[in-house]
This record gives sequence, C-alpha cells and structure tokens, in this order.
Amino acid sequence: MSTSMTPPASPMPPETLPGEATRPPVTAAPRGEAQSPLEDSSRRTRWLVTLLIVVALLWTLVPLVWMLMSSFKNAEAVTAATPQFFFSPTLDNYRNLFSGANNLGPYIVHSVLAAGISALLAVGLGALAGYGLARTHMRGKKHLAFWIISTRMAPIAAVVVPLFLIFRGLGLIDSIPGLILAYLTFNLPFAIWLMSAFFAEVPSSLEESALVAGCSRWQAFWMVILPLTKSGLVTTFILCLVFAWNDYAFAVVFSGPSSQTLPIAASQLVTQTGIDWGQLTAIGTIVVVPMMLAGLAVRRWLVTGLTLGAITGE
Amino acid sequence: MAHAAETSAAVRGSAQLKSTGRKEPRVGFEGWMMAPGLLLLAALSIVPFIALIAMSFSRVRLLGGVKLDLVGLGNWARFFTDADMWLSWLRTIIFFVLTVGLEMVLGIGIALCLFRVLRGRNILLGLLLLPMFAAPSIVGLLGRYLTDSTFGLYAWVLRGLGYSGDILGAPVSAFAAVVLMDVWEWTPLIALITLAGLSSVPQSVREAAAVDGARGWMTLRYILFPAISNVLLVALLIRSMDAIRYFDIIWVTTNGGPADATKIVPVRLYETAFRFFDLGYAAAIGLAMLAFSIFIARTFVRLLDVRGLTR
Repeated sequence: MSTSMTPPASPMPPETLPGEATRPPVTAAPRGEAQSPLEDSSRRTRWLVTLLIVVALLWTLVPLVWMLMSSFKNAEAVTAATPQFFFSPTLDNYRNLFSGANNLGPYIVHSVLAAGISALLAVGLGALAGYGLARTHMRGKKHLAFWIISTRMAPIAAVVVPLFLIFRGLGLIDSIPGLILAYLTFNLPFAIWLMSAFFAEVPSSLEESALVAGCSRWQAFWMVILPLTKSGLVTTFILCLVFAWNDYAFAVVFSGPSSQTLPIAASQLVTQTGIDWGQLTAIGTIVVVPMMLAGLAVRRWLVTGLTLGAITGE
Repeated sequence: MAHAAETSAAVRGSAQLKSTGRKEPRVGFEGWMMAPGLLLLAALSIVPFIALIAMSFSRVRLLGGVKLDLVGLGNWARFFTDADMWLSWLRTIIFFVLTVGLEMVLGIGIALCLFRVLRGRNILLGLLLLPMFAAPSIVGLLGRYLTDSTFGLYAWVLRGLGYSGDILGAPVSAFAAVVLMDVWEWTPLIALITLAGLSSVPQSVREAAAVDGARGWMTLRYILFPAISNVLLVALLIRSMDAIRYFDIIWVTTNGGPADATKIVPVRLYETAFRFFDLGYAAAIGLAMLAFSIFIARTFVRLLDVRGLTR
C-alpha cells in the first residue's frame, strides 16, 4: 500500500504495528515477511513529513513574525544585541510614521492611487480584450497572443530605460499618471492573457443561446458571460494590485517627491547615518499585510492566476 | 466603444457566432473588444521597444531636452568587449540557476509533504504562501535586518552555531544571503503549482499503482512525476521569467556589492542608466536581456500549444 494513502489522522496503535491483520490477503501473500519494515517505513515517512512541514513553517514564518514583533518594540529592543523575545509592546513606531517631518500619509495615498487605478484599468481593458482574444478566429491569433505574453515577460530593466526617456520627454516623471502607465506595461498584458484564459473556460454555446434569445453580442458578453467570470475578474484585479503595489524598480526611477510610493518610503529610511529599524519594520508590516490578506482571499484561483491560466487548480 | 460594438453586432445578426471571423475580413466584434486594450499595449510596448533599439545605437543626452546622437555600433562593441559585463552575465546565470533550482527542489518537496497531509492542508498552505505576496524590496530590507551583524536575529543564531562574520559584507555569504532571500519569497509559488498538479492526478491512477505494489519513491518516480511533468515545466518557466524580471532584493540589500559579488545584469543596467546616465549602453544591455526573456516566453507558449491550451 502506498504511504500516501495511509490516513495520518489517527495514529496507529502499537499492537497493529506488524500489520498482517490489516492487509488484504491478496497483496499480503506474495510479500511475506517484508511487512514489518514496510509499516515501520511508512511510520518514519509520516514523522519525516511532519518534521519537514514544521521546518518549512519556521523558515517561512519566522521572518514575518519577527518583523511584526519588531514593529511593536521600542528603539532599544529593536537593536538589542541579544534578540528580545519578550518585551512590552508600544505603538511608537507607527505613531512616529504618521507624525513629524516625513509623514507616511501621502506615500499611502500615492501607492493606493497608482496601484489601484492601474489594476482597475488593466482589468477593465483586459476583460474586453481577453474576451475578444478568447473568441476570435482571426489569422495570426497565435502571433498576437505571443506578443501579449512576451510584453508581460519583458524584464523590467529593459522597459524602464526607454520609458524613462519617453516619460522625460512627455513630462510624466514624478507623476501618478506616469506610474499608472508604467504599471500598465506589465499589468495590462497580464490581465488580457489571464482574462482570456478565464473566458475560454466558458463554453461559447452560452453566447449562442443568448444570441438566439435576442441579445446583441455586447449584451451576451455583458449580461451572460461577464457575470460568470466574476471570480476571474476579482483574481485578476487582486494580482494586478499586488504586482503594482509591490513594485520598487519602476517607482525608484519614475517617482519623485509628489508620487513616491510605500516601498520607496521604506528604502528611504536607509540612510548613511543609520537605519531606524523600528519604523522600517512598521512600514514593512503596512506594505505586506494588506497584500497577504488580498492574496489569500483569492487563494482558490491563485494557481490559475499565477500560471497565467496554464494550469487550472482545484 | 460599447455602442459601436452593439451596432456592429446588430448588423451582423445573431446566429453567426462561429463563422464570423473567417467570413468577414472587417474588424469583427472581437476586434472592437480587443482594440482599446491592444492599442494601449502597443503604445506601451512597441514605442519603448523602438526607442530602446534607437538608444542602443546612440549616445543619449538628457540635459537641455532629450537628444539622441547616433554613434553606430559603439555601445554594442562595448557590450561585447566589457569584461565586467561578462562577469555580470556569469553571476546572473549562477544566481538564476541557484535560485530557480533551489526553489524547484524545495517547492516540490513542500508540495509532496503537504500532499500527504489531509487535515488542515489548506491552512498550512495558506501560511506557507505568505512570502509570495510580500514586496521584494521589503523582503530585502527585512533580510538586511535579520542578518545585521550586531542585532540581526539570524546573525545571532549563526553566532550561536559558530559563524560570526558580517553576512552581507563578505562576497560569498552575501551572494548566498540574496539567493536565500529570493528562495524564501518564491519557493511557495512552486509549491502551490506543484500541489495543484499533484491533486489533479486521478485517485484511481494512484490506487492502481498501489495495487500493483508501487510505493513511496516508486510511486513518485514512475506515477506522480510523469503525470505532473507538464505542470512542473510551467512552474519552471513562470518562475524563470520572473527571476530575470526582479532584482529589487539585491538592489536594497547589497546594491551589487561587496566587490561586485552580487552585481547581476539588471543591477548593472540600473547602475549604468541611472547612476552614470549612460542610457545608450544601458539600452544595449536591456535588449540583450529582452532577447533572453523572449526565448523563455517562446518556450512557454509552445508548451501551451502542445497541450492545446492556447485555444
């Protein structure tokens, strides 16, 4: 019996360890005395799996928990030579972020505007174009699809350089619209491609019956197909939001005092004279937590979304 | 736009859905739907692409208005003879192979472990996925905090184990650190995709294997891996194209240092473009990176074609 099929829920009582009685005679007969080591090994496998999962959890969560903890520590505890596991929590770091010279407020507004609007535009245009792409029979469709996906995969560094020149010519440096356009360079192709994958899942017989019932093509799309891909729309929006919100490479080149986003605010705390790690972990928490919640909210469709529709999960 | 679409559809009548594209040479309903998105995308990708090519043959002046002075193959000659550049490519390849390789191995391992867990798998997976949503620049800064030689948690642990160097200060350990930060962030993606692949292997196949006496490693080697090989390939390609896209972690931790140990190509490009403002040379580097990513995109699309997924 394959180890993956043993239910780990109830630990096996020690009496049944040899396991002869629990085996169907058909498979047990030819193997004879090999039974006992087998059960042993399945047991060992289960322990190993548990151990590995614990290690993976620690490796994954310790940095995040440490960031969260540190953001509630006072200045001495944050940079204590011996890590402080027990401390009296304080909101000082967060309070300092919103008062004094470098108030975090505007950065949050910039981040929300740039990421939010670019994600909305990407999903809106992406839904239209994705639907067209999923249903069209035009010649050269493959080339079109390839062009779209290769735009998404273009290295940021290769896009930033010419965009910098163009934006400078157009006066879009240090502006929210500039950032939105920059984020659309990766969010728009992503949204088109992913929405097209979601639309392709909807059988086109649905539109046909809508058309027979007297709908126009637009009505069939708007009233029949679009509502069926609501989860696709939400997933695409959230992933676009996460990509844009997390961006650093574009913002560090294109944004100035009137458009700097949260990741830039975080990196600006790194100065020649020293780093305020308390405030930095607080900004880190503010940047990271909303996106984690948003990402987990669409967990069911994450596989589809992150493989650009190549794999449909669950 | 909505209006135009409606009328064009009304004119054509209703029952033509399947044959529209072939019979009509004009832009059909699908064409109108695609138009706004594709036009914007064209403006955002083709224009910069042409600009990039033009820049790679020019010296770019920024002061007193943007100006391109053609210099012919100067940037390219420099690109192919720059020894530092070749070292950067080598480092990029090592970084790429190490990160993507470790992420694949660990991700598949985690997926196989989770696959055996029946109760609470969703909660475990949810927790393990968290790093994926963190901004890479924050991951880098957090990594810096954790590895700080005086108060970093991980530096403290390592000191307990007998290692007491400045992790980001020495070339080899700095390189290892940025690799591990990348691995921390992106292993969950591989685990997520692999787990989806494993879950899609029909129960009956696994049962049949079990009845035939396959177990443990054999099931893995001969039943599960072949069944999910395409899924693994998709995971590899998706991760590969993002691996060359992102460099935020290195940018905020070591900025290419110490002694250029972590200076991979995108970091060098940024430095060339936005510290030395040599945009022409940066454009040449950018085009070379683009060629690499297009190669990966090509493979990805071809793979989808083989599986009949691009419709």
